[in-house]
Amino acid sequence: MKNEPALALGPNKVTGTTVARPQRTASVQTYIPEIAKGLGITMKHFFQNTKEMVFGQRNDPNTEAIEDGINCVSYPEQKRPYPARSRGMHRLTQRDDGSPRCVACLCCSTACPAQCIHIEAGEYPEGDPRRGYERFPQRFVIDELRCIFCGFCVEACPCDAIRMDTGIHAAPYDSREQFIFEKDILMSFPGRDGSHLTANPRHEPGEGSHPGSDRERH
Amino acid sequence: MTLTLVSFLLFVLKAFVVVMFAMNVAVILTWVDRRQGAMIQDRIGPNRAVAWIPTVVAQGIAVGPALAVVAGVGFVVLKLEPPPEELGQRAMLFSQLGILFTWLTGVVLAGKVQNRGVLNSFDAWLYSLGDPRRIFYAGLFAHFVALFVGLALNDSAFGGQVRAIGYGGGAGLLILSVLFGAVYAAYSIRNEPRIGLRLAGLLHPAADGLKTIFKEDFIPPNADRFLHSLAPFISFFPALVVMAVIPFGDTLCFTPDHGGLGQLLSSVPRGAVCTEGALRLQVVDLDVGLLYFFALAGTGIVGAALAGWASDNKYSLLGGVRAASQMVSYEVTMGLTLVGAVMVYGTLRVDKMIEWQSQNAWGIFVQPVAFFLFFTASVAESKRIPFDIPEGESEIVAGYFTEYAGMKFAMFFFAEYIAVVTSAGLMSALFLGGWDLPFLYRDGLHVTIGQTVLFEQALPHVVIVIVGALGFVLKTITLCWLQLMIRWTLPRFRYDQLMRLGWRKLLPASLANITATGLIVMTIVTGGPAVGAFMALLADYSKAFVALAGLGGFIYFVVFLVKPVHKRQTLSSSSAQYAAAAGGTRSARMSA
Repeated sequence: MKNEPALALGPNKVTGTTVARPQRTASVQTYIPEIAKGLGITMKHFFQNTKEMVFGQRNDPNTEAIEDGINCVSYPEQKRPYPARSRGMHRLTQRDDGSPRCVACLCCSTACPAQCIHIEAGEYPEGDPRRGYERFPQRFVIDELRCIFCGFCVEACPCDAIRMDTGIHAAPYDSREQFIFEKDILMSFPGRDGSHLTANPRHEPGEGSHPGSDRERH
Repeated sequence: MTLTLVSFLLFVLKAFVVVMFAMNVAVILTWVDRRQGAMIQDRIGPNRAVAWIPTVVAQGIAVGPALAVVAGVGFVVLKLEPPPEELGQRAMLFSQLGILFTWLTGVVLAGKVQNRGVLNSFDAWLYSLGDPRRIFYAGLFAHFVALFVGLALNDSAFGGQVRAIGYGGGAGLLILSVLFGAVYAAYSIRNEPRIGLRLAGLLHPAADGLKTIFKEDFIPPNADRFLHSLAPFISFFPALVVMAVIPFGDTLCFTPDHGGLGQLLSSVPRGAVCTEGALRLQVVDLDVGLLYFFALAGTGIVGAALAGWASDNKYSLLGGVRAASQMVSYEVTMGLTLVGAVMVYGTLRVDKMIEWQSQNAWGIFVQPVAFFLFFTASVAESKRIPFDIPEGESEIVAGYFTEYAGMKFAMFFFAEYIAVVTSAGLMSALFLGGWDLPFLYRDGLHVTIGQTVLFEQALPHVVIVIVGALGFVLKTITLCWLQLMIRWTLPRFRYDQLMRLGWRKLLPASLANITATGLIVMTIVTGGPAVGAFMALLADYSKAFVALAGLGGFIYFVVFLVKPVHKRQTLSSSSAQYAAAAGGTRSARMSA
């Protein structure tokens, strides 16, 4: 294609380059060389892809997908992992002692636009160092059928107690009851890294690092 | 020829072979068409259908043929003592086969280990050898070493020992490698609960075909019930029976006792065709040969037109009319292109045409324009893309078979593919020499250019006939494949373009071809012996060209297979990073 000088058109002097028209040369008009070219391209793809398929050299559809070749994902035998920020199944994160980090503040259920979170808060017994500072969820139920996976609960949580980083998508079950996830199920899911904890440190009441007012320090 | 029981049974057998060939290749083509279309478009294609077989049966499938090979080789070595003068040839054959199967087994196992990972100490050893290509290179080296040692030492003082080592060692290597590969395959699947048989997706069209039998056989209420049901048969039948006049192998010669067919001759002379005890590998001997083909190919039009008319649907009618006009138009070109070929060959019998090509040069060199025109016209005859306007999904729903469902639709569909097979068979017989392979004559291999003899090797009669038949199959399948390739490359013609191509381009070109052919034939006939000798030399060059092109293509293909593939991992997304951390997702169980 020739490089034509840029034209300035219209009152605003819009400039652009002229694109040459496709040339109807003799080889194009006779159609036959073009057929041969087209056949060459299809044959190249055919042989290359067949060879890579037979020899197990084909692209990994997830890590080499930009390369030439077949990039199909044979779902469900092969799966594309969900991206790091995808919102999967909820999980309730745990403290070091295995109890839920949740303090039953009801922020998540308040924030939930689908109203699918139900929490029954319980008080710690008399003498427990946490009594008076926080409560615990006696029941923590999420109706996964109602959930719209907006992630507002995760953002609302002040304690990093509910997360959606499991990388699991909602499974199809037989009945509606099976989609009602209780606290024990939600706590059983690990995060993407396999841990039930979170990376954020937890400051228990009574520890020096606890930021809030402290009954002993009064 | 009198009809005896033997000749009748042979007729039935040959018809069975030909019909099975056409139908099976057609079924495989339905698969190839889809799979190939997928490969071209960088997709995977149909591969979902699976037959689960018990592990024991799968192990049997692996080990059974290997045991048969072992038994065959053992029988040949132990029971059939070779005559001393043939020991050299047998030693060469067995040593090369043994080396071939050894490296082949090694490469397959090493590739498998590379892909699935190391499972035991043998796998670890195989993995430690590195790239499977090294085994291939070592095998290639061994081939050449064995060849040169055999050739150099055959006549020396050690000749006897070398021959004995090549014979016994080659057979032993063959037995060991085949048996080891099969047993190792059976061993490595022993813990699988069941084995999924996918045959690279080949079961998918088989399942689709079975499905159509059980589907509703729908006939429109106002349709002509009889003609509507008759049409698929009319279009199916002619496509199939055309194969009857196409010979699929050279004439087999027997001793003329026991009513004509006695003992199979071990070798036949180069020039003569046996007159007594001849078994023609062709269903019927028709003097009208080609005319039979045109008569039946013309009948196929009736099926499509009838289907369109009987369906009581305007789209069907349009499709039927389009099919009729298109096929009539291209029938003319088809007939006229072959006139030139008939002038050159001097016969209408397809087997005589192949003999002419075997003695002279292939039709594609003698009549290149005719080959091209005939190829185009026969693609148009089979109503396939780019000539599929009778079907024309974007314009007239599905054309003449809009109102067909179930098995009747499948018959139209199938007839199309059988037409591809038969036209490819005819083209390979008329233009690619049929069962003829370059320099392979009735008595063996003679590589001669003019008067210069480059290489000669006598071969048994039966081997030559079988190799020739395989060559015919290979040519037919290649031409089928080329037609499918064209289907995936070109877009559909418009109706007026199609008619213009047929009447204004192909027809004048075929007439010009006839004229030119006539002039050239006249020149050669009246030219005297000098021109004849020159043409014979050109014919030898054409054979050499085919042989070298075939060899070059094979080497190019091997290089293409061996060439390493470089892929770059692109881990920009977190998804790709997770996949890479999990060791990739490529080698999931179903990757074919």
